[in-house]
Amino acid sequence: MVKRVVTGNYAAAFAAMLARVDVIAAYPITPQTFIVEHLSEFVNDGLLDSAFMRCESEHSAMSACVAASATGVRTYTATASQGLALMHEVLFIAGSAHLPVVMPVVNRTVAGPIGIWAEHNDTMPQRDTGWMQVYVEDNQEVMDMTIQAFKIAEDKRVLLPIMVCLDAFILSHTVEPVDFPDQDKVDKFLPPYRPDHAVLDPKDPMIIGSFSPPEYIQEVRYQTDETMRNALEVVEEVNAEWAKEFGRDYGGLIEEYKTEGADAILITLGTVTSTARDIVDEYRAAGKKVGLVKLRFFRPYPTEAIRKVASKCKAIGVYDRAVSFSAGGPSWIEARNALYGYTIPVINVLAGLGGRDVTEPDIRLMFDKVLEAAEKGEAENEIVWIGTRGVKP
Amino acid sequence: MFEVRFHGRGGQGAVMAAQALASAAFQEGNYAVAFPYFGAERRGAPVMAFTRVDKDKIFSKTLIYEPDYIVVLDDKLTGLVDVADGLKDDGMAIINSNAKPEDIELGKSVKCATVDATTVALETLGQPITNSAILGAFAKATGLVSIDSIVAGIMDIFGSRIGEKLAAKNANAAKVAYERTSVGTCKGTMTYEKGGKWLPDYKELPLGLATRPMKTPEGLVGPGSFVDNKTGSWKTFAPVHDPDKCIMCRMCWFYCPDGAIKEVGEGDAKTLEFHLEYCKGCGICANECPKDAIKMER
Amino acid sequence: MDRHQGGETIGITIKTLPEEELFTSGHTACGGCGAPIVVRAAMKILGPNTVTYFPACCLLVFGGTYPHNAFKVPYLHVLFENSAICAAGIKQALNKQGKEDVNVVAFAGDGGTGDIGFQALSGAAERNEDILYICYDNEAYMNTGIQRSGSTPFGAWTTTTPAGTKIGGKELFKKDIPKIMMAHNVPYVATASVGHPADMLRKIEKAKNMKGFRYLQIFAPCPTGWRMDTAKTVEVAKKAVNSGMWTLFEMVDGVITLSVKPKMEPVDDYLKMQGRFRHLTDEQIKIIQGWAYKKNEMDLKFVEAFSEDKKE
Repeated sequence: MVKRVVTGNYAAAFAAMLARVDVIAAYPITPQTFIVEHLSEFVNDGLLDSAFMRCESEHSAMSACVAASATGVRTYTATASQGLALMHEVLFIAGSAHLPVVMPVVNRTVAGPIGIWAEHNDTMPQRDTGWMQVYVEDNQEVMDMTIQAFKIAEDKRVLLPIMVCLDAFILSHTVEPVDFPDQDKVDKFLPPYRPDHAVLDPKDPMIIGSFSPPEYIQEVRYQTDETMRNALEVVEEVNAEWAKEFGRDYGGLIEEYKTEGADAILITLGTVTSTARDIVDEYRAAGKKVGLVKLRFFRPYPTEAIRKVASKCKAIGVYDRAVSFSAGGPSWIEARNALYGYTIPVINVLAGLGGRDVTEPDIRLMFDKVLEAAEKGEAENEIVWIGTRGVKP
Repeated sequence: MFEVRFHGRGGQGAVMAAQALASAAFQEGNYAVAFPYFGAERRGAPVMAFTRVDKDKIFSKTLIYEPDYIVVLDDKLTGLVDVADGLKDDGMAIINSNAKPEDIELGKSVKCATVDATTVALETLGQPITNSAILGAFAKATGLVSIDSIVAGIMDIFGSRIGEKLAAKNANAAKVAYERTSVGTCKGTMTYEKGGKWLPDYKELPLGLATRPMKTPEGLVGPGSFVDNKTGSWKTFAPVHDPDKCIMCRMCWFYCPDGAIKEVGEGDAKTLEFHLEYCKGCGICANECPKDAIKMER
Repeated sequence: MDRHQGGETIGITIKTLPEEELFTSGHTACGGCGAPIVVRAAMKILGPNTVTYFPACCLLVFGGTYPHNAFKVPYLHVLFENSAICAAGIKQALNKQGKEDVNVVAFAGDGGTGDIGFQALSGAAERNEDILYICYDNEAYMNTGIQRSGSTPFGAWTTTTPAGTKIGGKELFKKDIPKIMMAHNVPYVATASVGHPADMLRKIEKAKNMKGFRYLQIFAPCPTGWRMDTAKTVEVAKKAVNSGMWTLFEMVDGVITLSVKPKMEPVDDYLKMQGRFRHLTDEQIKIIQGWAYKKNEMDLKFVEAFSEDKKE
C-alpha cells in the first residue's frame, strides 16, 4: 500500500483505474475537470487500458456509458452541476435498465445564478432517477467508495448505477494523504463485470429499451424499487468486506460518531461532517451531550438506521446543503418521513448554499439549536437558515 | 348515463367519431366526454375510443369496461378482437358491415345494428373512411341522439379539423347511413379466447425489460417475436398475383414494407408466395410491378 | 488523410439479397411506409452479426412494442437525441470485448438526426466513431403526428405548418444535413432513395464494409404524413430524384460523385402526388421549382469542386 498526498479528483480518477474500467465517456466541467484530465494521462501513458470517449457533452457522455454498459462492460464517467443536470434525462435509463454505471459527482451549485462552489442541489434533484448516491467526507473515502461503488452496483441483487458525491473544491481540489490500495487486492475484491441481464451480443440477441405499454412499466418500477431496497443490505456487506481487506470501516449506510448518550444528534452529509466531528469533541469536552450521524447513503435511504438513531436521543437536527423551496432541505424531508410517528423534534439546518463556507460557529449554532430543541421538547423554528443575511436563524 | 366504446383502426377516425358523438349529445343538453385509448398505434392497427354521456357532470376518468354500446368501424375486427367484451346483456352493437345483423358473430347474442358504412363512405366521400357514416347508424339504431344532432356534432368536430366543406360531406354520409341501417340480433356462438397477453409478475419479467427470445404460453416475446403479429387484417385491398405475367424480377419482394412476399422453389419452379396474413394492402407491389402482374382487389 | 479502410463490395442487388428476414413481418408500420423498406433491405445486407440502435421514432414503436419486436438482432433504445453516441458506445464496448467484427448501426428519422440529434451526431462524426448511421428521411416528425422538422421542404403542410389562410405550409427550406455531414470529413457520406434501389443497396453495402463514421441519408416517403396513396411511396421517391427535389450522391474520402444525374423534370408532378402540397399557390410552386434548379446548380458545382481529378 502506498500513501500519497492527492486531490479528491485524483483519487476518483485513480480508483477508476484500479477498477479496470472498460469504457470511460466524459466531458470536462469545473470542478470535475481534473478527473477527466488525470484519466487522459493514465490512458495516454499506457497505464489504463480503457476505451476513452471524449464526448461533446455530458448528455452524450452518459448516453455512451449507458450504451456501453448495456453491451456488457464496466463503465465510468464523472461530472458536476450543470453536467449532471444535462445528463438528467439519461440517468433514468441507467436506473430502469439496471446498468451499473459508476459516476463521481463533484457537488457544485446549479445555476442560476451560476456558481462553481459546493452545493448539493445538483445531486439532490436526481433522487428519483434510480441511482444510488453516497456522500463522502474526505479523499480517502473518495478513493475507497469509488471502488466499492462498482462492487455494490454490480451485485446481482442490485444492478443499479451509483453516484459518489464529493464536495466541490473542499475535496476535489484539496490535497490530503490517501492510502492507495494495491491493484492485486482490488482485483480480488472486485472481479471483472460479467453481466447476464443486459448484454448486446449478436450471438445471443436481446432487446433493451423497448417502447412499453402500461402493462409492463409498473413492474419495472417495482423491480427498481426492490433492487434499491436490496442495496441496503449489500452496502453493509461490501463495507464489511472492505473493512476486512483494507482496514477501513465506514459504517455502511450511516456512520455514528459519539451518539451514545447524546441528547442532541446532528445528521450531516458531505464534508460538513468532518468539521462537525471537531465540534462534537469540543461540546462533549464541555459536557454537552451531542452526537453526530454521517448520512452516507441518500439512496437507498437508510430508514431503519435513522429510526434507531432517533430512538436514543431527544432531538435531531438535519443539515442540508440544498433546499426544496418552501419545503425545507431534501435530507431533512427524508429524515422526517423516516421518523413519522416519532415525537422528538426534528429540525432542519441549512447552511453553505452556493458554496458559502460552513464555519465552526455555524456548526456550533446547529448543535445549539438541536440542544435547545432537545431541552424544550420542541423547536421554535423547524427550518433554520444559518448565516443568511436578514434571516434570523 | 350511457357509455359507448368505439373499435376501429388507426387512421379510420374512431377518436373523431367518439368526439362527434359527444358533441352531438352535448348539443342536446347533456354532459359528454370522449377520449382515446391512449396509445401510439400506427395507421391500420386496432384502436379504441370512448364516449360517456350523462345528464350531469361526469367525474369518472377510467376507461370503459362495460359499455352500453359498442361501435365497430371495421367488421374485420370482430374476428380479431373481442369487441363485445364486457358489453352489457341489454346493450347493443353497431357494426360497419354489409351483412345482416343476424349474420354477425360477436361471441354474444345481443341487439345489433349493421350498415355498410364502407360503401356509404366510398359513395359520399370517395374514401373508405367510415367514422361519420357509422354515427348515422348509431342515431338510427339507438335513438339516443337525433340525426340532426349527429350532423351538428360532425360539423363541430370534423369541421374544426378538416374544414366545413369536407365536414358537410361527412354529415351527408351519416344521413345516408341513417337510412340504410338495419337492426336485429347478432349471433353469439363463438367463444373468444381470453387473455392473450403475456403478463408475467415482476420477478418473472426480465430485469429492466432486457429480453431474449422466449416462448410463452401467450406466444413469442423478445427479438423477432413480431412474426406472431398478423397485420393482414388491416387491409381493404389485397394483391392478386398472376404468375403467368410474373418475370420474377423480385421488385415486389424487395419493396414490400411488410416482407409479406416470399420467394419459393428453385430454378424454373421459382415463384412468389403472397402472405396475406401480413399484407396491409398498401399496393406498392402492384404499383411497382413492371409487368402488371399484380392487381389490388377489395 | 484517408481515414477509411475497406468499402469493398460484392455488388449485392435485389436479385442477390438474402431471403432471410432479420426485420420480420408483423411490425406495425402504417401501410406503404418507406422506413421498413430501408430497414428490411439494410438488415439483409448487414446480416445477423449486427447490433442496432433506434431513437424514439416511428421505428421504435412500429419495430417493437414490448414484449414484441421485429428485429432478430440485438436492439437498444435509450433516448431521442443520442443515437450516434449510443451506437458509438456500443461499438467501443464491443471492441473492448474483442468483438471488433460486429456491425453497429443506428437508424433514425430526420428530426432525430438533423434537429434534436445533431449534437451527438456531429460529435460522433468528429471523433470518427466506427458506426453506420442511417437516417430515414421522411421530412417531418411523423411519430409525434406529422410536425415540421428541419428536413421538411418549403411549402409542405404539417400539423405545425398548417395550410392556413394567411400562411400556407412551411415558409423555410429543407436543411441539407448530408452536406453538413460532408463538412465533418468522415470516411463516407451518401444520400439514397427507396426509389433507386440498386443505388441504395450498393451504398449500404459499401458503407457496411468501411471503417469509421459512415452516414447515409435515405429518402423514405411517409404516405400518412405526406397525405398520399400508400401505393405511391416508391413512385414519389423516384419523382423526387427526377425533379431534383432530392439528389443522390456520395462522398468517399473527400471525393464527391453524383450517383444519378437529375433529369430536372418539373416539380409539379412530384408535388401533385402529395396532399401535403395540395394548398400550394402558383407562386409557391414557382419558389419550389426555383429552389430545385438552384440546388441542382449548387450540387453540380459542389461535385465538380470535390471530384477525383481535383484531388491532389
